[in-house]
Amino acid sequence: MSDSEVDIVELRSKYVLKTVPFDARFPNQNQTRNCFQNYTDYFKCVKAKGEDFAPCQQFLQAYKALCPNGWTEKWDAQRESGTFPASLEP
Amino acid sequence: MQHNKTNLNLQLIKNKYQSHTYHLVDQSPWPILISWTLFFMAIGAVLYMHGYNNGGLLLNLGFFLTSAVMYFWLSDIHIEGSFLGNHTKEVKNGLMIGFILFVISEVFAFISVFWAYFHSSIVPSVEIGGYWPPLGIVPLNPFSIPLLNTFLLLSSGAFITYGHHAFIAGKRVFTINSFFMTVVLAVVFTLFQYIEYTDSSFSIADSVFGTTFYASTGLHGFHVIVGTIFIFIGFLRIINYNVTKQGHLGIETGILYWHFVDIVWLFLFIAVYFWGSN
Repeated sequence: MSDSEVDIVELRSKYVLKTVPFDARFPNQNQTRNCFQNYTDYFKCVKAKGEDFAPCQQFLQAYKALCPNGWTEKWDAQRESGTFPASLEP
Repeated sequence: MQHNKTNLNLQLIKNKYQSHTYHLVDQSPWPILISWTLFFMAIGAVLYMHGYNNGGLLLNLGFFLTSAVMYFWLSDIHIEGSFLGNHTKEVKNGLMIGFILFVISEVFAFISVFWAYFHSSIVPSVEIGGYWPPLGIVPLNPFSIPLLNTFLLLSSGAFITYGHHAFIAGKRVFTINSFFMTVVLAVVFTLFQYIEYTDSSFSIADSVFGTTFYASTGLHGFHVIVGTIFIFIGFLRIINYNVTKQGHLGIETGILYWHFVDIVWLFLFIAVYFWGSN
């Protein structure tokens, strides 16, 4: 194998390329609700099961992939100040 | 020569009468004046909403002047109809058609406000957490004052219909009492809405909920006040013997307007107060 082929194999073992699968609850082009739902579901999951509960990571990865960083930063700030508009009770 | 003089007399007499049944209105300043006052009102509203100095003053001035011109224009119509005999059957028909078209245009104004309400409430945006009512907003209990207001308006509609029939039947006392009761119920409705507005825990600035609530109920409330004045003036004209069984368009148009206001309230009660609450 050449150098570049070895690099590719190494990189492939380190990084898994994937994204959020199709969610039939949000079939249309506007995926805002998908992002928001995963964001709230992650924090509800963490509140119910704790941060170490592995399945909560699915929501985390989904919202990190879907949501614009500006939105998540704004929502994080709202959660800090207690003005987040949705309920985060599980 | 006698022959010519008779012809001349006949011409002089004929020239006083019109050979058609329509009303060619005398020259009047009111249309152009009202276009200016409406302009001031519109510009004043925009300036006020954008925080310019004296925007509110211009808005109020425009509103006052528009009301004044409306008063003068409508009293001219009253004079033309009741005292100058200009309102033939065709003229009355035309006036009623015109008023019905006006009410249809008002219906569309309310459609626009209801559209805004449904757009925001059926699919609540993520900015309000996807809830309707948004978290933290305590909506008014629909089965308290709003339900009472529904009964007030429905009763006032019944009273005015009864009053209209009594008027046509020539029953003066029943007519006057019914119109008086209509006005009383309308005023009580307005009073209760005022109390609701002042006692409510949310304002027009409290998210899109407050905006759509006060825009829809506020526009309706304004129409209630206008309708109340409309009916009250009809009431005064009946007392003063200014209308007849055959010619009372000012009463009929007022009644149509009042029924329209009542129906809009029913939509408001169901969609905004009942469906829009918890």
